[in-house]
Amino acid sequence: MSDQQTPNTVTFTLDGQEVTVPKGTTILRAAESIGIKIPHYCFHPGLSSPAMCRLCLVEVEGWPRMAPSCKETAQDGMVVFTNSELAQKQRTGVLEFYLVNHPLDCPICDQSGECDLQDYVFEEGREHGRGREPKRVLGRDDFGGDVLFNGDRCVMCTRCVRFMREVAEDERLCVVERGNRAVIDTFFEEGLEGSPYAGNIIDICPVGALISKDFLHKARAWDLDRTPSVCPSCSQGCNITLQVRDDLVQRLKPRENLEVNGWWMCDFGRHNYEWMNRTDRTEVPMVRGQEVGWADALGDLLQALKDAKESVKAVTWAHAPNEEMGLLSGLLAELGGGEVVYRSPRTEGEVPLPGFPLLARREDLAPNVNGAEIFGFRRVGDNNSQGGLDELAGHDGVLIVVGDPIEDYGEDFGSKAELYVYLGSYQSKTASNAHFVLPITTFAEQEGTYTNVQGRVQRFWPGVRSPASARPGWLILGALVAELTGTEAPVSADQAFAKIAEKTSEFGGITYRDLGPRGAVAGKPAGVSGD
Amino acid sequence: MPPTVKVMRRPEGVRTSFLRATLKGMALTFKHMVNPNKITVQYPEERMEITPRWRGTHRMETHADGRPKCVACGLCPTVCPSNCIRLVGGEDDQGNRYPIVYEIDEFRCIFCGMCQEVCPVEAIHVGVHYENAEYTRDRFVYDLDRLMEQDHPTSLLWDPSDPKSE
Amino acid sequence: MSEQTLFLIEKSIIVLAVFGGVMLVVALTTLVERRVAGFIQDRYGPNRVGPFGILQPAADGLKNFLKEETMPAAAAQPYFWLGPVISLAPALVTFAVVPFAAPLPIGGRVVEMIVADVPIGILYILALSSLGVYGVVMGGWASNNKYSFLGGLRASAQMVSYEVALGLAIVVVLLMAGNVTLTEMVWQQQQLNFWFAFPISLAFILFVISAFAETNRTPFDMPEAESELVAGFHTEYSGMKYAMYPMGEYAHLVTSSALMATLFFGGWDIPFWTGDDAFRYGDMWISGFAADGTPIEASLAWWKTFLTFGAFAAKTYFFVIFYIWVRWTIPRFRYDQIMQLGWKIMLPVALAYVMVVAGTILALDQLGVGYGFTFGLVLTVVSAICTGLFLLVLDRGRNLSGAHSKAQKRFASERKALTADSGD
Repeated sequence: MSDQQTPNTVTFTLDGQEVTVPKGTTILRAAESIGIKIPHYCFHPGLSSPAMCRLCLVEVEGWPRMAPSCKETAQDGMVVFTNSELAQKQRTGVLEFYLVNHPLDCPICDQSGECDLQDYVFEEGREHGRGREPKRVLGRDDFGGDVLFNGDRCVMCTRCVRFMREVAEDERLCVVERGNRAVIDTFFEEGLEGSPYAGNIIDICPVGALISKDFLHKARAWDLDRTPSVCPSCSQGCNITLQVRDDLVQRLKPRENLEVNGWWMCDFGRHNYEWMNRTDRTEVPMVRGQEVGWADALGDLLQALKDAKESVKAVTWAHAPNEEMGLLSGLLAELGGGEVVYRSPRTEGEVPLPGFPLLARREDLAPNVNGAEIFGFRRVGDNNSQGGLDELAGHDGVLIVVGDPIEDYGEDFGSKAELYVYLGSYQSKTASNAHFVLPITTFAEQEGTYTNVQGRVQRFWPGVRSPASARPGWLILGALVAELTGTEAPVSADQAFAKIAEKTSEFGGITYRDLGPRGAVAGKPAGVSGD
Repeated sequence: MPPTVKVMRRPEGVRTSFLRATLKGMALTFKHMVNPNKITVQYPEERMEITPRWRGTHRMETHADGRPKCVACGLCPTVCPSNCIRLVGGEDDQGNRYPIVYEIDEFRCIFCGMCQEVCPVEAIHVGVHYENAEYTRDRFVYDLDRLMEQDHPTSLLWDPSDPKSE
Repeated sequence: MSEQTLFLIEKSIIVLAVFGGVMLVVALTTLVERRVAGFIQDRYGPNRVGPFGILQPAADGLKNFLKEETMPAAAAQPYFWLGPVISLAPALVTFAVVPFAAPLPIGGRVVEMIVADVPIGILYILALSSLGVYGVVMGGWASNNKYSFLGGLRASAQMVSYEVALGLAIVVVLLMAGNVTLTEMVWQQQQLNFWFAFPISLAFILFVISAFAETNRTPFDMPEAESELVAGFHTEYSGMKYAMYPMGEYAHLVTSSALMATLFFGGWDIPFWTGDDAFRYGDMWISGFAADGTPIEASLAWWKTFLTFGAFAAKTYFFVIFYIWVRWTIPRFRYDQIMQLGWKIMLPVALAYVMVVAGTILALDQLGVGYGFTFGLVLTVVSAICTGLFLLVLDRGRNLSGAHSKAQKRFASERKALTADSGD
């Protein structure tokens, strides 16, 4: 309206507020940008908007009908009411229609607690239904893969159909029948079996129609503690949420990051979490078979390292966070240099998500291969992360193992070593010769960063309590380095990262503050991704 | 005769006769001594009637075929203020959600009745029941079978004729 | 069989009968106490073991035998063991000199219904009953517990205080009976046709009060005093050692009830009937003297023995019930009140009363009034006056006062001071 208005923005009134948004923004997105939530089902930011759920209708002054806010773009001078009497009444009415066939089996529905229908009906639905007709009963259908379909609960938003069509570009779902009888179905018996990204339709289903077989009945949504993290299953580094109950990871869910994974993650990563709940953990520091306290263990270790004359060799794995790797490399530098090797599993061929080209299941099946390369570690072993350590197994100098349980070697691993230090989370027979066994936390139990395939450094947070007295690897290594160099030991992951970033030019001086929740590519400021 | 508290005021301004007071006391106790109406309830033979709103140890309702009515929705462990309910849900071979493990620690329980109030399928109930003695402490963690075996009446939680308990 | 053998057999039977009887009555009394307490509180009391709960004492005894006995680490062991025994034994032994029925004629012999009619009767009682307190004091001290110790201390103080009044009350009885054996006292009451409770009523009252104190019964149970001293002298006791203290207490209770019945209510005498009167006079049993002073031979019969025993039991048990009744009515005194009552009231009153009774008897002797109805009547009137004065003095807070009347006095004096000020 005003003269200062640039041609690429529009200004309109939303619930009495002046809003200026880029041209082409839908009313729903504009409302979200100022914190007004408009209920919706069929709209998903990663999918097209068919405007078929009729829940996001808003009142526009002067318009003969209500407008679907997910589809209607904002125009100059529009006056929009999302919460007027009419809009509310319309939503209440639509919700009543949804409940004509929805079974309201919330007590036995896995979506209960994170269900949009539950929330909307609770907020704006009618207190009592008026339906007298019997509800449609479809039973449930195994869609293949991890997906279980419960047709009764479906609200026909078609997000799943659109995901398979537009994002996975593997059209395996469609709506069959029409009107009251409409239902989602697969083609023939093929189902979703073998579709590597089908698990995402469970996440985007706003109700409990599509549920995970793996998670079925495992936990209630409100029992789960959610911790932002990074998927450790490949070097893509999808942003995820660890969903934890009773210190056991129950499921992984993707976390929005438009620079990395959008709203999606692959089924491989989604289901690769059982190892996080392994119980064969190292729990207390052991020095030559004796349980000791941390102070004694570290003191002895420091002395042993100072006394050691021979050359140092170290092995780690690509699951180790940047902080561990960086400080390990720093430790070796202080001990007169030496080679660090790492191992990482690898498969042939990437599995891309066609509708979101940034995302693919990468060939390296470990999160921090890029980090290991940055620190100049040498990759050994085969594609199954086996072998390649023969030289180290018989090494007669100082041998340091960080993280890698080396389960493919025998008990004589490191038997000739002058000093064998094993920093690991898991009990392993190869640690039996170790002079020092120091328990370290897994990635799910500590704070740290991974460098993904794009060179993006991404933070993860602790979601599970560590067993007994395990400590993060960077805390142990940082203390040793600090003692050897006479500097201050890092007491937080933040400080540990700062310590390695100042020595590693690839990180370009970024700090935890720059990383934020969605990470940053080394040397660039944090990308502002969507909303 | 229900026991009542009789409040005796001290006489003011006059000197009390101790002798008379003593004799009055003796007379009072004598009156009660020979009074045939005793308030003792001879427990195993006679029982006090407990109110239908009484909240005692729990009971799980069952379907006609003996399955528990519980669908393992998880609301009772969620609402339980003393965290005494342990629930692990699962699915039986007919696809019904049911509790694989349902345990109530009756020692931790504070008998607030919120589990009954919150239950969407009217499965778990607090009972109108007070005879809970056991020989060992671990018998007070009631498992699902035990809860289903209980056959005492269930609590009304509120008086239908006086829902606000006024 | 020689006379001596017969005597031994006869006495053995009586000893066993008396010991068993007293123990039985003691056991029964524990039950009666609890049932009467129940009744007073509108309850039933223990009524589960056997009919009317009659086997409850047996069950309690069994339980106490089977219970673990604890021995405090710092206790003085020998005394800790000795305490309960010393507490129980004298109470049982005291009963030896109490005649409990008219003599029983059997097989041409006359058996006296008493364990030992020792010539020093009442002195024996005074001596032994005073021993009981040693058990309490010993237990309290040996426990090495401050509450037990305080209990023992209070017991000794209380015993000493009331022993005096008790003794003086008995002196009055001796003045009346002119002898110290209890059989003689029963006889004198039969002769007087007056139970001593009437001609020396104040002595009776003093005796009752002192007996309460001597048996440590509420309202004089300072040694135990649950509300202040946990359980007083027997705080540290458990099992059978503990059980002997209550047994001792109940034995004391029964014995002192029997003494009250004997000293003041004619013992085994059945009132208003001279047919049961019997007394050993030389070698013969007499029921009295004719006007000319010749003794009248008593007619003894076994049924009279049983009847008189019934009378004795009824009188004794009346006092037992009275004890219990008082216990569940009257709250415990304060310690200072007990001392005040003992030394400031009981002692002087008892002394004065001894003088009054002695003087009256002397005067009656001088006037030539013989031991008989008139004698008793005069003494009754004199005693009634004394009792009335005593109660009047005791009552209305003149000497003894509760906390309330003390506060009243203080308020009154403050008010007076205030009005005096405002008057200026």
